[in-house]
Amino acid sequence: MNKYHDDWIIAAPGILLLCFAFLVPVAGIMVLGIKNPDGSLTISYIERFLTDAYYLGVAWRTIKLSCIITLVCAIAGFPFAYVMARASPNLRVWLMILITLPLMTSVVVRTFGWMVLLGRGGLLPEALYLMGFVRRNYSLMHTEAAIIIGMIQILFPFMVLSIVGVILRLDPRIEEASRVMGCSFLASVKRVVLPLSIPGIVAGSLLVFTLSVSYFITPSLLGGARLPVLAGSIYETATKSQDWAFAAAQSLILFIGVLILLIPYISLTRKSHG
Amino acid sequence: MVRAVPPWVRGAAALFVTIVMIFILGPIVVVAGVSFTAGDYIAFPPQGLSLKWYRTVLDSNVYVQSALNSLQLAAVVTASATVVGTGMAIALHRGRIPGTGILSALMLSPLVLPTIVFALGLLMFWSSQVGRTSFVSLWVGHTVIAVPYVIRTTLAVLSTSDRFLEEAARTMGAGRWKTLIHVVLPQCLPGIAAGAFFAFNISFDEAIVSLFLRSPEIMTLPIQIYTQLEFSPDPSIAAVSTLMIGLTVVMLLAIDRLLGVQKVAG
Repeated sequence: MNKYHDDWIIAAPGILLLCFAFLVPVAGIMVLGIKNPDGSLTISYIERFLTDAYYLGVAWRTIKLSCIITLVCAIAGFPFAYVMARASPNLRVWLMILITLPLMTSVVVRTFGWMVLLGRGGLLPEALYLMGFVRRNYSLMHTEAAIIIGMIQILFPFMVLSIVGVILRLDPRIEEASRVMGCSFLASVKRVVLPLSIPGIVAGSLLVFTLSVSYFITPSLLGGARLPVLAGSIYETATKSQDWAFAAAQSLILFIGVLILLIPYISLTRKSHG
Repeated sequence: MVRAVPPWVRGAAALFVTIVMIFILGPIVVVAGVSFTAGDYIAFPPQGLSLKWYRTVLDSNVYVQSALNSLQLAAVVTASATVVGTGMAIALHRGRIPGTGILSALMLSPLVLPTIVFALGLLMFWSSQVGRTSFVSLWVGHTVIAVPYVIRTTLAVLSTSDRFLEEAARTMGAGRWKTLIHVVLPQCLPGIAAGAFFAFNISFDEAIVSLFLRSPEIMTLPIQIYTQLEFSPDPSIAAVSTLMIGLTVVMLLAIDRLLGVQKVAG
């Protein structure tokens, strides 16, 4: 300890902040979710969540929407990442800037953009009307489709960045070899690059899924009060009904779900960086 | 390298990338477009062009006050996150304190753990141990989520630095602190600058922690926009959002001038 006292001193503010402003509060909320007011342990809050049809519906919607969002991001993310990785360095930097620029604008602002595009008289419902799919004055707001569209736009960059890192580290000679051996371009992408990119796709999917189950601003603005997701339900329970113990129990459920997914994510990203 | 990519594949790829880009950038362009409308309602394409909603924003006490709050908050968060994150990154890079691996995983965990759980936890902890939420509670909350970005950018720069420079300085007789200030810190500068940029941006745009830890007298810009979106949206929201996007773009250009944008994007 004395030998490296300067290391301890420069790390101390971070350690203190981590303990008192992050670990203790998060641990506190976990404990609150399984504790009676008198201090004894209980699973009554968890039980209430798992036996109430309303909350099970909330959990089911959260998982269903997150699965769709993750799937779309993965399917569109791989070809996008491949094009990006094989583009000229100049074009790649530009695509990188354009794809990360939305990450640097507030989620609230981007969601507002979708409210304009999806609401009554917005570009998307109007286009659907002109194509004859929907009646006049149709609105996509307050639908699950709206939540999915808004969330994909927010989370897509995370998927692309996860995959592009893996593709860039692939040896380009592997692809050359498959082409020389007679593979067509598409076959070589499908049978050589895609399997080698699986770690990136899986890591990106786990990341997108965990982020999407814990978002609530976009779902609550685009989906409205009739389509609550788990994070939105936590917010409502904590602020509107002030039932902190039940909000804590819901947080505990969300937290454990995310943690289960994060363990493979961490081991995957560690492997691909090592 | 076999370069023969069928032309139709090239065409399809270009089309696909364009569509994705329109999808990704569309909402931002729409917000900017709405802000210039001359009409009284939110509409895209805008009805006529005018700057009247910018006038409304600049004349509105509510917007100006919450913008000042957000800027102040982002400034102090940038300062604290940069100091805390840089120190932590250097210590993690040296890897001499026990448990470095676990410590680094824990320090970066706010990036992936649900922000809402952390925000609610900090609110409960703050209310029971400290008291009423205030500017300080927002400052602490934002710092926790900004520090991992500073650590990451600084670690990225350190990992390409020359380990022997520090040794050389020590051999030549510089003390630990002299080495830190004159040798290690200057090497970290590009990482620190990029980290500071992210810290500012995150605090300025953050809405979840702010929703939980705000106090009635402190409104930040994203919370102001969120509340208005829920109750009474009008084009002034678009104008204030466009100003926020503008600030980000200006900062991005500044950091590009300073460091080159590849460093920040990568």
